[in-house]
Amino acid sequence: MNLSVENLSAAYGDTRVLWDVSLEIGEREIVALIGSNGAGKSTLLGAISGLVDIVGGEVRYGDVKLNELPPDRIVQSGVVQVPQGRRLFGSLSVRENLLMGAYLRRDKEVEADLERVLAMLPRLRERIGYLAGRLSGGEQQQVAIARALMARPKMLLIDEMSLGLAPVLVDSLLDILTQIHASGVAILMVEQDVQTALEFAERAYVLETGRITLTGPAHALLDDPNVKKAYLGV
Amino acid sequence: MQLVLQNLVNGILSGGILALVALGFSLVYGIMNIINLAHGAFLMLGAYITWQLWSTFGLDPILAVPIAFVVLFAFGYGIQRGVINRVVRAPVLATFLLTFALSLLIETTALFVWTGDTRGVQTAYTGANFTLLGVTVPWAKLLTLVVALAITGILYLWLHRSRLGRAIRATSMDVGAAQMVGVRVAHVYGITYALGAGLAAAAGALLTLSYPLTPTMGDPFLIKGFVVCVLGGLGSVEGALVGGLVYGIVSSFATQFDVTIAGQHLSGTGLQDVLALVVLLVVLIVRPTGLVGRATA
Repeated sequence: MNLSVENLSAAYGDTRVLWDVSLEIGEREIVALIGSNGAGKSTLLGAISGLVDIVGGEVRYGDVKLNELPPDRIVQSGVVQVPQGRRLFGSLSVRENLLMGAYLRRDKEVEADLERVLAMLPRLRERIGYLAGRLSGGEQQQVAIARALMARPKMLLIDEMSLGLAPVLVDSLLDILTQIHASGVAILMVEQDVQTALEFAERAYVLETGRITLTGPAHALLDDPNVKKAYLGV
Repeated sequence: MQLVLQNLVNGILSGGILALVALGFSLVYGIMNIINLAHGAFLMLGAYITWQLWSTFGLDPILAVPIAFVVLFAFGYGIQRGVINRVVRAPVLATFLLTFALSLLIETTALFVWTGDTRGVQTAYTGANFTLLGVTVPWAKLLTLVVALAITGILYLWLHRSRLGRAIRATSMDVGAAQMVGVRVAHVYGITYALGAGLAAAAGALLTLSYPLTPTMGDPFLIKGFVVCVLGGLGSVEGALVGGLVYGIVSSFATQFDVTIAGQHLSGTGLQDVLALVVLLVVLIVRPTGLVGRATA
């Protein structure tokens, strides 16, 4: 199923943040959304997840209009967010954080999924009883991704995964995303690290002050003179 | 020595019920940041429900505890979903005014239904004591303590073992992140407030064993509950328990306080709450997060 955002506008009170934003993420695609601080990237993800009120346009996932659903139903439909700054439940253990990811699931396979996620992220198995707030930044980001996986997403929205992490940690997280993608999950990644995002994604959109200004295959954007000048510093 | 032991036992006996009084208040305050001024009114309703069941059907107050809990739980859930959720993210003054109005409304209604006459519950064990190692223990207070501790323990286990309990704790840490994993925050808040009201009612039911009933009986307990939960640390079961016991023991020993300053005779019996508040001040200066509280990020 495709996730399509059509002519989306969003505002905080009187301050308009997004203007007629349209984008599309196909089933099993990896799409990057790049742009500078304050461009509206996180607002866009918030609007998709139902956490930010929209003032115009719509968000559809397959035939379902996500913008008419409450946040819990959006999670249930398979669109799950890994928020900026990890947003873990700091005084809950790693295990409890992961179980919170599966909060809406009533099926019997939650424990099996927990095993699967821990097999993919063995570091978390060692940390399973620790309070999430006590972990290092890289470990916390792993917990944030693992928590989202526990909801059995079909589409992951990942907000600023690389923020504040050493390059070597980012690389290992990207390897994990590759595995997740290979298991059939589409990924929309929001990044300020434009180089990393464009090297990892298949397609990309550039968001500037609330508007989509450029879109295309990721490698083409990597060579685009405007992108180079504005985001890559060359 | 005998006196010290007796005061210690008295303190623990009254501290247990204070812990239960504070528990629901602490939960609502810690998780939703609502200072619930209607907590005392809920406690009073629990007490009157118990009195009504006793005077109409002869039901023992201990057996009325679950009934009072369930009735106020449902009432609390309705109040939260219907009224308080509308102002839950508003400045603290809005929830302050709202819960204060609610408390006035409930107390006035109680005055209308049950009149201002002082009521009381009599059971076979009312006024009965036993003596152990020279320490006198009233049966009613011991029963109260046991039930209060049992309820506290059950709540602790529920918060830490159940799916909804985990969601309540998670929501108190990060509302937005809770929504992102699919928690319906309005429902979780409804359950939290319902628990607060239910626990107040359970405490009210137990208090009928040793306190007279009036429509304003909840007010002093509201203040004590507030002090206890700040003393112990907000939003945690352990905090309410430790705070309650400390408050109980301090005010029990305060009765021994007896001095004459500048010709003025001061007796501790009238100063119990003053001394407990002094302890609160000291704790807040030395350990602002409360005795067992943790600083929250």
